[in-house]
Amino acid sequence: MTVALRVQQRGKRARRGFHLGRAARTSILALAGAYFLVPLLASARYALEGPHGSYTLAAVTALLHDSVLLQSLVTSLEIALGAAAITLALLTPTSVWVNLRVPGLRRSMEGLTLVPLVVPVVVVVLGIYGAFPSELVASPVLLAFEYVVLAMPYSYRAIDGGVQSLDLHTLVDAGRSLGGSWAQVFCRVLVPNLRSSLLGAAFITVAYSLGEFAMANLLSFTTFPTELYQIGTEQVSEATAVSVFALLLTFGVLLALSVLGKRSRRTSGVAGRPVEDPLAGVAADLAAEVEAVLGRADPGRPGIVHDGRSVP
Amino acid sequence: MRSEVVTIERGGTTRGAPAKDRTGVRVELVECVQRYGDVAALDRFSLAIEPGELVALLGPSGCGKTTALRVLAGLEQIDAGTVRIGGSDVTAVPPNRREIGMVFQAYSLFPNMSALDNVAFGLRLRKLDAVARRRRAGDLLELVGLSAQSGRFPHELSGGQQQRVALARALAVEPRVLLLDEPLSALDAKVRAQLRDEIRRVQLEMGITTLFVTHDQEEALSMADRVGVMASGRLQQLGSPDEVYERPVNAFVAEFVGSVSRVPATVGAGGWVEVLGGRVPLPASQSAFAPGTSVDVLIRPESLSVAPDPLGFAHVVRRSFLGPVMHVVVAMPGRFELLATLPSSSAAEIVVGSAVRVEASGAPLFVTAPRETGA
Repeated sequence: MTVALRVQQRGKRARRGFHLGRAARTSILALAGAYFLVPLLASARYALEGPHGSYTLAAVTALLHDSVLLQSLVTSLEIALGAAAITLALLTPTSVWVNLRVPGLRRSMEGLTLVPLVVPVVVVVLGIYGAFPSELVASPVLLAFEYVVLAMPYSYRAIDGGVQSLDLHTLVDAGRSLGGSWAQVFCRVLVPNLRSSLLGAAFITVAYSLGEFAMANLLSFTTFPTELYQIGTEQVSEATAVSVFALLLTFGVLLALSVLGKRSRRTSGVAGRPVEDPLAGVAADLAAEVEAVLGRADPGRPGIVHDGRSVP
Repeated sequence: MRSEVVTIERGGTTRGAPAKDRTGVRVELVECVQRYGDVAALDRFSLAIEPGELVALLGPSGCGKTTALRVLAGLEQIDAGTVRIGGSDVTAVPPNRREIGMVFQAYSLFPNMSALDNVAFGLRLRKLDAVARRRRAGDLLELVGLSAQSGRFPHELSGGQQQRVALARALAVEPRVLLLDEPLSALDAKVRAQLRDEIRRVQLEMGITTLFVTHDQEEALSMADRVGVMASGRLQQLGSPDEVYERPVNAFVAEFVGSVSRVPATVGAGGWVEVLGGRVPLPASQSAFAPGTSVDVLIRPESLSVAPDPLGFAHVVRRSFLGPVMHVVVAMPGRFELLATLPSSSAAEIVVGSAVRVEASGAPLFVTAPRETGA
């Protein structure tokens, strides 16, 4: 066998391997896609199915006229964004402080943030409920704080991983020696360089908050998941439409946050201008949402069915 | 090297003007104590730097030199002592109000900012308007030869370029004191030599009082007006580079700065020391040793002569060619080795394994009790 022939055969084998590899990858991707998409499409089809095999938007139209549902959606979004803002405001300085000043506490902090995973939800609920100011227990702010705690095992790790990846001491010392106060160094040096981690923590908290049912139900708040459950007990096809909508909504919110982060990154990369604290913008928006939530913490607010004190 | 000088004045930049009207400030660390548990990083450490002077702190790892610099920067709080800048007590003043500029050993540029924005960062904190800020940052980047890289981000710059930007950034805020914490240690030899000259040139042009911490004695001796040698949190000696090299105050300084060979010897009568079969004068400053006392003599490599001698008791162990000179290590009968530096042109016959004769010439660098290793 000549060398040329052997090379040719080896090339064929390599190409066959490449094709097989690509086929395997495509198959796995298709299967995984089907696993996620088929139930979604089935739900969508069921929600749009009319009498005698026809399709109708009646269920979707009904949603748009359900003021309680829309209000619950707004409430859930406010709570989710508020929880994300509180998470960033509390955990970012904490992680920076621990890594900078008391690195010996790093392990303890990691352990502490895992507590919500091992303590039953009802205990967390009651603990926070008991510690909360009585004038606020009836407002969605309570729920936002509950979600901050429950999402902490994931959000803290996202932030702490970013903080640990920075040369924190050098950046802080450099910022301080150039005349920056602690707050200036934190906001102008650290936060922009933690953007990815902070967005990750915000994603996790928002996703968790938008989908949480048990605690909201336990505290008798009307949030999107509890309202969804309520509708499901009476109108199955509407509930299915809402489920699909909820999925798309969550995806949309996360996509919006992601695009926001990328836009900030692009701005800094092309123009070479200082990043104007990209996440500070997000944080400011989130803070505004929290303020809005706090400002509207009116127990008698229409659309929010609550009885905070009926917790067992 | 550029001949143009950029002087930075508060509120604006004047290009091409001489910097001699700008004077640095006096800096003092007085009896500073800094403890980490039982370890004293600074043990009643005192240092005074004259206006516009560049002092290099030299010492082994853990001797406290970086701590001294950080104390001066305000990044470490001392347990006792006083820090003065320009006559003012700044011991309790936070680092952001000490008007210092600092270049760190690690690359410390802010990753999210371009080179220009890094340099302008301190000016931005001082609320200088955007146009003046960018102009001054641009001038400083030009001063360090990086105008073309002003829009690049730190990850797009080499290590040497990053340290240049860091230097420009430190100078941008018109610091009263410039602090350099081993800024060249992460760079390769060629870039290090270039940047060394660059830093010295800029420091002289701006007339800024500078403290430079390094463990590289070549850097310290070549750059500094005065060199301080530290050990165990204390300043062992502070003097001009030649003073520290030629007239060390103790064995630690003698052995740490430059190379020496420690040779057993005996103090003879009449101010002589008997060493290597010959006699060399006992330094007048060390006449405390009584005749007959066994001592160790510390001798620089250039004070030893090595000559081929078939009857010699020493033999050559290894030799290293360093261009104009050659390092020759010779094994002596008393189970110790000597390092000699010879002109390469005269070392052709000094081959490994050959028998040689070794002689000391001139006064020894330092005479100490046998086996003494510290101050």
